[in-house]
Amino acid sequence: MTRMFYYLGLIVEYFKNYMKTRLTYRADFWVEVISDLLFQATNFIFILVVFMHTDSLGGWSQNEVIFVYGFFMVPYAVFSCFVNMWNFSERYIVKGEMDRVLTRPAHHLFQIFLENIDPPALIGGVVGIVIMVISGGQLGLPFEWWTIPALIILTLCAVAIYTGIYTALTSLSFYSDAPTGILPLMFNIQNYGRYPVTIYNRTIQILLTWVIPFAFVGIYPAALFLQREEMTSMALLTPVMGAIFLGIGLLAWNMGVKRYKGAGS
Amino acid sequence: MNAIEVQDLRKAFKIQKNREGLKGAFADLFKRQYQEVIAVKDITFAIPQGEICGYIGENGAGKSTTIKMLTGILVPTSGHLKVGGYVPYEERERFVQNIGVVFGQRSQLWWDIGVIESFQLLRKVYRVPEQDFKKRLDELVERLKLQDLLNRPVRKLSLGQRMRCELVAALLHNPSILFLDEPTIGLDIMVKSEIRDFLKDMNREHGTTILLTTHDLQDIEALCSRVIMLDDGRIIYDGGLEELKQRWGTGREVLFQFGRATKLETLRQWTEGLAVTWSAENELNAKVWIPLELNVSDVLGRVVGQADITDIKIIETNTDEIVRSIYQSGSANKPEEAAGSFMAETTEAPHV
Repeated sequence: MTRMFYYLGLIVEYFKNYMKTRLTYRADFWVEVISDLLFQATNFIFILVVFMHTDSLGGWSQNEVIFVYGFFMVPYAVFSCFVNMWNFSERYIVKGEMDRVLTRPAHHLFQIFLENIDPPALIGGVVGIVIMVISGGQLGLPFEWWTIPALIILTLCAVAIYTGIYTALTSLSFYSDAPTGILPLMFNIQNYGRYPVTIYNRTIQILLTWVIPFAFVGIYPAALFLQREEMTSMALLTPVMGAIFLGIGLLAWNMGVKRYKGAGS
Repeated sequence: MNAIEVQDLRKAFKIQKNREGLKGAFADLFKRQYQEVIAVKDITFAIPQGEICGYIGENGAGKSTTIKMLTGILVPTSGHLKVGGYVPYEERERFVQNIGVVFGQRSQLWWDIGVIESFQLLRKVYRVPEQDFKKRLDELVERLKLQDLLNRPVRKLSLGQRMRCELVAALLHNPSILFLDEPTIGLDIMVKSEIRDFLKDMNREHGTTILLTTHDLQDIEALCSRVIMLDDGRIIYDGGLEELKQRWGTGREVLFQFGRATKLETLRQWTEGLAVTWSAENELNAKVWIPLELNVSDVLGRVVGQADITDIKIIETNTDEIVRSIYQSGSANKPEEAAGSFMAETTEAPHV
């Protein structure tokens, strides 16, 4: 328990420090927010364009797909805020900053998350909630007592899946000297999880469900709110997948750290 | 009690061999060749609490690798180690609470925020109670004269200023063992001596055990009672600095300046029977080399009464030279011993 408070306290401290640093470069802060939103907007426009040509996508209406996209934005925002490992290999392994991290009394992975937090990404989450409210309203979705708790829990589980996958992949940096090119590939695949998986062929469905379960970050949990009964059982499986993949990620990471070689002198 | 205990510690790295040329690169793509490099070869030593120990060796001798194993950064390939009662790589998070680490080439501090903000953050990371922190910070700030720097961002500090801040950062949580990897690298002479004084005080007042690596032997002379010398992953000397000097210093040199011209032959005549060697640049300046077995005063006595001397200077073989010759021979055995052993062909006994 004290340990949890310790880590929560650290999140607050690092957050404050981020603000102090970033507010000195104000322009940079807004550029980041805007480019983030533009990136999401292009995806969003893509959905609208698709539905100009068809009324349904694998049995899902435009509003439903937009709702799924809105849901996806929330865990994605939380993930992007707290888990930024894009430059891990270069910064921590090649430049040897891992040395410093390892001489401090907090979990190494947690320290790396905190050193790279990116709060502007959270704004995307707010936009996601707005999108869900609007499209949900148009669909006439009922608002139950469990809607908000379920949203929070499923978001956390989706973040756990994301974190697990990316942590496991990043820990490959401990084994290979060269930065891996696999992360950008993953980044592209994750976008598939935002659309109804039923539109893909069988292999991709299995891939997105069980191997790299990005479907659990978008379509499955969102289906719970959309009252899509064929996917309800999958939605309820999200916490299990979250636990499994986070576990795999942490295991791979802890094994990787043991192999850390340090850099130069 | 020993602060640091190391037994048969070994670290081997697997290094990927890159074959030559485009063809080699393709070959590497399918079948990699690895080479095992042993950076630290079964070393054993112990450092008692409260000691300042210097850890020296050429570049690539394995100093940093050892320090990284001792601080829990690297996991050893084999061997035992215990630092401050912990096995560093097993209980890393609890262990690092008791140690301070300064890497001369790397910064602990956040680049863009004020120094004091970095300290505050470290206070949280190390869970130092507010009051202890305040007391300790005041003490350190006063001792290192950092009052004016506290609100400046780290990127605007000079190297000397930054280094002093790094020391504070490493000591805020009052560690009982301090590791310093080249703490004085690139610093000017004033800051160097300031840091040395500070470390000495720390050691005296708080009993902090200090292990430092350095290429500046003046650090060693100023701070360390004990030296561990490493060469190619092995310890080649472990003992007192004085003892090292005595064992390796081959003699002393005395410089004379005469008021009136004095011939070399005359000087040789005066010291007839003593195994000394004279040399002279001109008639007013002469040098005599006296081996360790002889007393300097015996030689001086012979000369002083007869010559018109304006100045005398006695030069001991300095640590720099001793260390250089040990590096060259790769062994800290006394030259005579080395020559007598069967290692004689490989270790050429150097004379300074």
